Amino acid sequence: MKILFSLFKKDCRMMVSGKFFLVAFVSLLLYTLFIHFGYLNFMGDNANIYNVYLYDPAGAYTQTSPLIHSAASEEELDEALARDTSGGVGIHIKDGKTNIVLYAGTEKVDRHRADYALSLLHSGSGYQPETVGDNTPEMKQRREITCELLFIEIVAVGFLGIASVLFKEKQMGVIRVHAIMPFSMSLFVFSKVFLFLLTDLAFAALMTLLNVGLKETGGVLPAVLIQTGILSLIMALTGFGCTMLLKDFKQFSLAYLVIALFTATPVFLSANTAIKMDWISCHPFYHVYMGLKNAFFGMPVTDPVYYISAVCAIILLFVIAAAAFCKEMGKEG
Amino acid sequence: MIEVRNLTFSYGKDKQALHGLNFTVEDGEIFGFLGPNGSGKSTTQKILTGILKGHGGMVSLFGKDIKEVHTQEFFQNIGVLFEFPYLYANLSALDNLHYFSSFYPKEQLRDAKEVLEELEFKKDFLKKPVSSYSKGMRQRVSMARALISNPKLLFLDEPTSGLDPTGAVLFRRIIEKERQKGTTVFVTTHNMLDADLLCDRVAFISNGNIVALDTPRNLKEQNSNHSIAVDYLYQGRREEQMMEARSLKSGIPFPYDELLAIHSQEPTLEDIFIQYAGRRLS
Repeated sequence: MKILFSLFKKDCRMMVSGKFFLVAFVSLLLYTLFIHFGYLNFMGDNANIYNVYLYDPAGAYTQTSPLIHSAASEEELDEALARDTSGGVGIHIKDGKTNIVLYAGTEKVDRHRADYALSLLHSGSGYQPETVGDNTPEMKQRREITCELLFIEIVAVGFLGIASVLFKEKQMGVIRVHAIMPFSMSLFVFSKVFLFLLTDLAFAALMTLLNVGLKETGGVLPAVLIQTGILSLIMALTGFGCTMLLKDFKQFSLAYLVIALFTATPVFLSANTAIKMDWISCHPFYHVYMGLKNAFFGMPVTDPVYYISAVCAIILLFVIAAAAFCKEMGKEG
Repeated sequence: MIEVRNLTFSYGKDKQALHGLNFTVEDGEIFGFLGPNGSGKSTTQKILTGILKGHGGMVSLFGKDIKEVHTQEFFQNIGVLFEFPYLYANLSALDNLHYFSSFYPKEQLRDAKEVLEELEFKKDFLKKPVSSYSKGMRQRVSMARALISNPKLLFLDEPTSGLDPTGAVLFRRIIEKERQKGTTVFVTTHNMLDADLLCDRVAFISNGNIVALDTPRNLKEQNSNHSIAVDYLYQGRREEQMMEARSLKSGIPFPYDELLAIHSQEPTLEDIFIQYAGRRLS
């Protein structure tokens, strides 16, 4: 314990001198300001409303929503849809039948647009949709964006953080001195990864508290911390291994770009847009991201296969990082 | 203390660094390992300190095979000075020493300030970051790191590198003091003066082979032509003559007005190294 404490204390000092905590604090501040004053305003309640145009020559619907625009003819309806840039939806009542007319987007979104248009059409009939959750749209947005920014922070910023601290030690040559110190080399890896884990957990807790709110945080925090822990350990160990195997920060930057792109882009595209990627279920980070997202929405992953796979991946990465560390110690000065 | 038999090591298929080294180092001895860059000195030291694994042949330290010896206890008994002063640049000399010494049992540690004082480290810099130190000061802190745990076996790689002549003299005195305490010292260097003044025995290594091993005195004697050069004045002119050392017994065999100097023509260790290895040390 004494040895681990010495290593941990030194790592803390290295991170303080490398201004890592300051960068993390500034990131937290910026993300919070962005969520409160940028994202939520921009993505307000009206942001997802599509224009709905109704052509009802027989006048079958008299009590429709005031949000519906009337069209005098079929041509006018077509013109309105052609001009609309917000994904407008047309309703054509013909022979008593309700026909939805729209420019095709993607399957799920088109269904959503059609449902929305029909709900406006029937708004005067006392129709009430079934309520399946108590999240307001704002709360949904808060949880979603907090999850996305936390994922980016750990994948990109945390990963870079461990590299910057380690490259400093590598340049100073002190890693080699540890080769002749009377303790197990795994402790060196463990101390660093543990420190980054603690930092990420603290970051995740503050991020959730500040952006999801005190009341809701209690319910989701344990699951969020578990998912953050898994992601943090994977990224810190990957960063550690890459730093040991690559020559300098330039090489690392290239590898970082590839890893960050591989990790983040397909996951975001698949999880947050309508883009379909059949292979995404084979992407390990997709499962970690969805685990984090589900944790934010109070539906933690319960599948033991997921946790067993995560533990195996962490153990494997630890072994690789420790082996790369030993190899680095044997290099020439 | 150290026994090496038929030691081989290869960095890759076609990159054999050591070709069957044989030597022993006795308890309390200062043993010099001399050779130019790339000759295999550092590789040998890395094998002995357990940094490099996968060697061939037999290596024993503290009377045990090296494969069994690289335990926590082994690392507590050795001190290593690396070729470059590897220190945390953002920490002070004292913080560096406190950090590295924290891995050893308290009872075997020396006081950090006392060791730095012995190495004539400037007191004003004790708490300043290493990044503000000169090369010589960094080397002093590195030496302090190697000595702070009172090691029984000390590995020194180019100990006087980066030091001014006064610093080099100080380091040699400290190494000698360590030997008097009973510490065994394994020095790898290409500095002939260090080897000559410090070492009880030296081994010359070239291209991964030991080409000679003996005391510096024996090596010089065996390779000397036992001649001397006499500087003298004769009829107002300064002249120099070479002669056999043993011929001095019957006096100076040529006319002179005043003897100015008599120089031994004993070869330096570097001359001998060139003789054995066919190349210079540096």
